[in-house]
Amino acid sequence: MTHLKLTNISKEYGGTTVVQDFNLDVEQGEFVSFLGPSGCGKTTTLRMVAGFEKPTSGTITINGQDITNIAPNQRNVGMIFQAYALFPNMTVAQNIGFGMQIHKESKGAIKERVNEMLALINLEKHANKYPFQLSGGQQQRVALARALANRPQVLLLDEPLSALDAKIRVQLRSEIRAIQKKMGITAIFVTHDQEEALSISDRIVVMYEGRIEQVGTPFEVYNFPNTRFVANFVGSLNTADAEVVDPVKGLLSMDGIHFESAEGTKDRKKGDKIKIAIRPERFGFASEQKKANVVDSTIENITFLGSVVRIQLKIGNTKFNMDTFNNPFLELPKIGAIEQVTCSREAVLVLDE
Amino acid sequence: MATFDVVKRDAPKARPALSKFSWAWLGVLPFFLFAFMFLIYPSSTIALGSFQDTKTHTFTFQNFAHLLQSPSLIASYWISIKISLITSIGGGIFGFLLAYSAIRGGLPRFMRSSLMTFCGVASNFAGVPLAFAFITLLSPSGVLTGWLKAMGYNPYFHGFQLYNFWGLSIVYMYFQFPLMVLVIAPAIDGLRKEWLEAAENLGASSFQYWRYVAFPILLPAILGTMILLFGNSFGAFATAQALTGGAINLVTIVIGSQLRGDVLGDAGLGYALASGMVVVMVIAITGYTLLQRQTERWLR
Repeated sequence: MTHLKLTNISKEYGGTTVVQDFNLDVEQGEFVSFLGPSGCGKTTTLRMVAGFEKPTSGTITINGQDITNIAPNQRNVGMIFQAYALFPNMTVAQNIGFGMQIHKESKGAIKERVNEMLALINLEKHANKYPFQLSGGQQQRVALARALANRPQVLLLDEPLSALDAKIRVQLRSEIRAIQKKMGITAIFVTHDQEEALSISDRIVVMYEGRIEQVGTPFEVYNFPNTRFVANFVGSLNTADAEVVDPVKGLLSMDGIHFESAEGTKDRKKGDKIKIAIRPERFGFASEQKKANVVDSTIENITFLGSVVRIQLKIGNTKFNMDTFNNPFLELPKIGAIEQVTCSREAVLVLDE
Repeated sequence: MATFDVVKRDAPKARPALSKFSWAWLGVLPFFLFAFMFLIYPSSTIALGSFQDTKTHTFTFQNFAHLLQSPSLIASYWISIKISLITSIGGGIFGFLLAYSAIRGGLPRFMRSSLMTFCGVASNFAGVPLAFAFITLLSPSGVLTGWLKAMGYNPYFHGFQLYNFWGLSIVYMYFQFPLMVLVIAPAIDGLRKEWLEAAENLGASSFQYWRYVAFPILLPAILGTMILLFGNSFGAFATAQALTGGAINLVTIVIGSQLRGDVLGDAGLGYALASGMVVVMVIAITGYTLLQRQTERWLR
C-alpha cells in the first residue's frame, strides 16, 4: 500500500525550475534513496516532504492525507540533517525528549521513550552529556533517536553521513538501516554517494537536473541503467564510440573491433552511431573464461586499490578500466604486455550517441 | 670500465640547538611596555596608594574606612551602578533587536553593512566630542530642540533635561547600543537555520523555538555583552564630566576630583575609590568571559 505519494511535484525559484514532474509512490516501511549530483533537486524534494519548501505545483500525501499545505510542525515527519542540528543547550536526553515535551506528553512517558531510544542507539551512558561532548557519529545517532522518538510517519534523512569520516559512515549507515527495518518506518534518504545508496536502499531514485532519471532497486539501477546519465553516475563505467554492424545480432564495431551486445539493437540501423558502455568489473582475462567478445588489449597501468586491482587497458585506440579482485597468489600481467580480455554479451550496454 | 671514487663524507652536522632567545620577543616588546605603563603600573599604584596615608606614606586602612563611612561616596557608586545598569539593559535590548533585525530579519544585505559601519564608529564616539555633539543637538538651544520648538513641541517643557541623570543616560546609550550590535552579531550569526527547522520538524511553533532553543542559546551572549556594556558605562568619565561639569556624582567624577591635585583632593581616598572600581570591573569582565566561553562552546 502506498504510504507516501508525490504527484506531479514541481518547484521553481524565480523562474528557475529545480524540480519538475516528480512522481513517486513509496510503500510503508520502504527505504528509498534520492541519488544524484549536487543541484539535482534531491534535497529540495526532501524539504518539500518536510514542509520547509512549498511545491510550485503537485501534491504530497501521507497515508492518503494531503499534507502539501500543512505547516512543517503539523506533519509528524522526522528529519535528520547533514550537520546533526542538535540543540547545543540541551543534553542528549533533553534533545531526544524535545518533541514529546512540545507535544506535552507526561514526564514519565518522555523518560520511558528517551530511555528506549538511548538503548536503540547504544548511548545510554551519554544521556546527560551535551552535544559538544560527543563525536560526530554519536551526535548523528542522537539526531536519529530524536527524530524517531516522536514516532513520525516518515523519516527523512538529508545526507546524514556526509560529515562523518569513512569508517564511521559505513558503520552508521548499517545502524540506520537496521533501526529503520526494526521500526518498520518509511524512510527517504538523500545522498550523492552511490555506494551509500546502493548498500542501504530498497529502491533508488536517480535524479538529474530536477527530473527522475530512473527508479529501481539497487540491482536494477546498477546493472540495467535506463539512461546514459544513470549509467555514468552509478558505478564506474567505460564508454566508447561505436557503430551498429548487425542490428539483429547486436554486433557493434569500435575502431574495427567487434563487440556483441545482448541488448536489443533491433530498433537501430546498420551504421548508426552509438556508445558502448562496459563496467570495469565485467572484464576478465580471456585465458580464464574464453567466451564472447574476446579482444586483444595492451596493459597500460595497474593500480592497487586494496580489495580490487584496477588495470588500465587499451583496446584499439580506446582506454578501458578493468577491475579484478586482489588475489596475492595470482600473478598480474606486466605493464606493456598484450593480453586477451573478454566480457559477456550482457556486459556490453548500448547507449544513444 | 668507469670507476667511481668513493668520497668519504662526514655526517652532516646536527643543527645547533636553537638559542633560547627568540628575536620574536622584540616584536611584542612594545605591547608589554604599553601594558606595564598603562595597566600594571597604574593598577599597582592604585592598589598600593589605597593602603597608604597620603602625608606619612605609612600603611593604613583609613582610606577605605573613610570611603565606607561617607554616604555621598557610597552614593557615587550607586549612581554609577544605576546609570550603568540602565544603559546596559536598555542599550543591550535595543542593540540586540537592531542586530537581529539587520542580520536575520530578511532585510537587504546593505542594511547590515551600513549598520555595522555606523556601530563601529558610534561605539568609539565618546568623551568630549560626544558631549559636544549632544549639546549642539539637544541642549535648550540645540539644533534638534530648535526644530522641535518650531514644530510646536519644546521637550524642556515636558520634563526633558540633557544635563541630569536621564539626559546623561541617553547620551551613554549612543555608544552603548552600537557596542551591543557589534559584540552580539557573531552570536546571532551563529544561530543555525537547522535548529529552527529541527524544532519545527519536532512540532515546535516559532514561539516554542525561541523559548526552548534560540533564546537559551543566545542568553549567555546577551548577558555577557550586557555585562560588557555595564563595564563600559561604569568606567566612563569624560562624557559625563564634559556634559554635566561634575554635577552628577558618578564614582569616576569623584575619583577625578580626589586625584586632581588641588587642596581639596585626597589622593589616598581617590585610590581607594578606584580600587573599588577595579573590583567591580574585574567581576564584570570575569562574568563576561565565563558567559562568552559558554556561548562559544554552544555556537562552535
